[in-house]
Amino acid sequence: MSEAAAVFARARARPGAAGEEPRIELRGVSLCYRLAKQRVPSLKEYAIHFMKGALAYEKLWALREIDFVVRRGETVGIIGRNGAGKSTLLKVISQVLKPTVGQADIHGTVAPILELGTGFDPELTGFENIYLNALLLGRSRREVADQIEEIVEFSGLGDFVRSPIRNYSTGMLARLGFAIATAWLPDILILDEVLAVGDASFTHKCEERLRRFHDAGTTVLMVSHNAAAVRSNCARCIWLDAGRLRADGPADEVLRRYEGHGTDPDERRAGHLVTGS
Amino acid sequence: MRQIFRYRDLVLTLVARELKVRYRRSTIGFLWTMLQPLLMMLVFYLVFSQLFRFDLPNYPIYALAGILFWNFFSQSIVASMNSLRGNAQLLQKLPVPKAVFPLATVISGVVNLVFALVPMLVLLLWRQHGLPWSLLFLPVSILLAALFTLGAGLLLSPLAVFFSDVVELIGVLLTVLLYLTPVFYPMAILPEKVRWIVRYNPVRSILEVFRDPIHYGKIPPLEHLAVCIAIAALALAAGAFAFRRNSDRIPFYV
Repeated sequence: MSEAAAVFARARARPGAAGEEPRIELRGVSLCYRLAKQRVPSLKEYAIHFMKGALAYEKLWALREIDFVVRRGETVGIIGRNGAGKSTLLKVISQVLKPTVGQADIHGTVAPILELGTGFDPELTGFENIYLNALLLGRSRREVADQIEEIVEFSGLGDFVRSPIRNYSTGMLARLGFAIATAWLPDILILDEVLAVGDASFTHKCEERLRRFHDAGTTVLMVSHNAAAVRSNCARCIWLDAGRLRADGPADEVLRRYEGHGTDPDERRAGHLVTGS
Repeated sequence: MRQIFRYRDLVLTLVARELKVRYRRSTIGFLWTMLQPLLMMLVFYLVFSQLFRFDLPNYPIYALAGILFWNFFSQSIVASMNSLRGNAQLLQKLPVPKAVFPLATVISGVVNLVFALVPMLVLLLWRQHGLPWSLLFLPVSILLAALFTLGAGLLLSPLAVFFSDVVELIGVLLTVLLYLTPVFYPMAILPEKVRWIVRYNPVRSILEVFRDPIHYGKIPPLEHLAVCIAIAALALAAGAFAFRRNSDRIPFYV
């Protein structure tokens, strides 16, 4: 089977093909960070500069005119170099940042898997942190109480849940974070370079859970520097370059161009060609 | 508002955490909440009824009630201004309604205020040989004080995110405000010329609704109460409006 045929077959097989309801709709999304030229702006300085009429800001456009739709059941990889706007894009999708221009419509619940330790209080026990973290994700106490055994079980922490998490290893924190974020079936799951931590058996458990979500129609966004991880999990891939959508299409194709780019001057000159999806 | 209701369990958990941090480390923490106002009252008592001498029945109770209110008000405002910065990491990562942080701060301030009322009751029993019925009105007073303070906190906390020096600036303004509010002195000692400033100070109205049931043993008159309800509602509306307008910009600046 030729490579093109393989891509075609996979595209056919994925349940999130056209016709499914859209979960993420970005239309002309641009996002600008306004950085004050002077560090740590104070009210005093602001007043002085305001009176002088010299309020200088540096505008940094982290995203420029991003358009795409991700449908129910799709698993999409997001690649790009450091500073390409991947994290900013995820923040727009998880509705932390509002686009400066354009429209971001998100339908359904979003479960972000957070960086290590975010949303945890090191002084509290694992048990207390499960509550804190899940409540921060918008769950109620009752919902957490219903799931807590399952979360503890999945994280494999055992009796450690009763000790403060400042004693935890990085792997334990990552496992706990993943267990909490995926305890409820989300409409959209955001994975930001997290599956890298944890031992083989836990990675296996994670993949199994992701597969279950996928079958249930969850849309998964996966950010990774690791092309192999994207290739093996995602049918579709989005390539961000300097805040712009450089390519959006079948993962193999986009990844081949991404990996080739930098060595192939023709490819670089081609600019942000968008292949159809 | 609906968002915050959805996150109500989170608010309660944040309150519990804040109190835990304050009280777990030491029994002193708990005692201090009660002891600090008593010590301040003692200082005021010595200075004002022994050195400067003015006639006010039950001055210790007058001063203590004033201090309890003022501590709640000023500490809650400063803490809500710090609450957004303190949770910067979360605000940049999670779509939590941002108002939960100042809200939780003010609620834990209320809990601290209730703890600090205990020595006040002891003092009342000792000095007055009984507790006035008007104390039953205190929950209403505390609610009004809390709504007013929450309004101020919501108004000021985004500013503290955008400008780093606002917290210090407000600290200075709070000191000025302390002198413009009859916390430890009676209105009567003020010369006629400046009395109007203090009279139109909204914080004074809120303070008196809190202190009258304790010190004079009577429920505040209805028209005064109506004014206070209006002040608290106005503060809360202004705070909520300002917070909403700025809330989208907060994660960019924390």
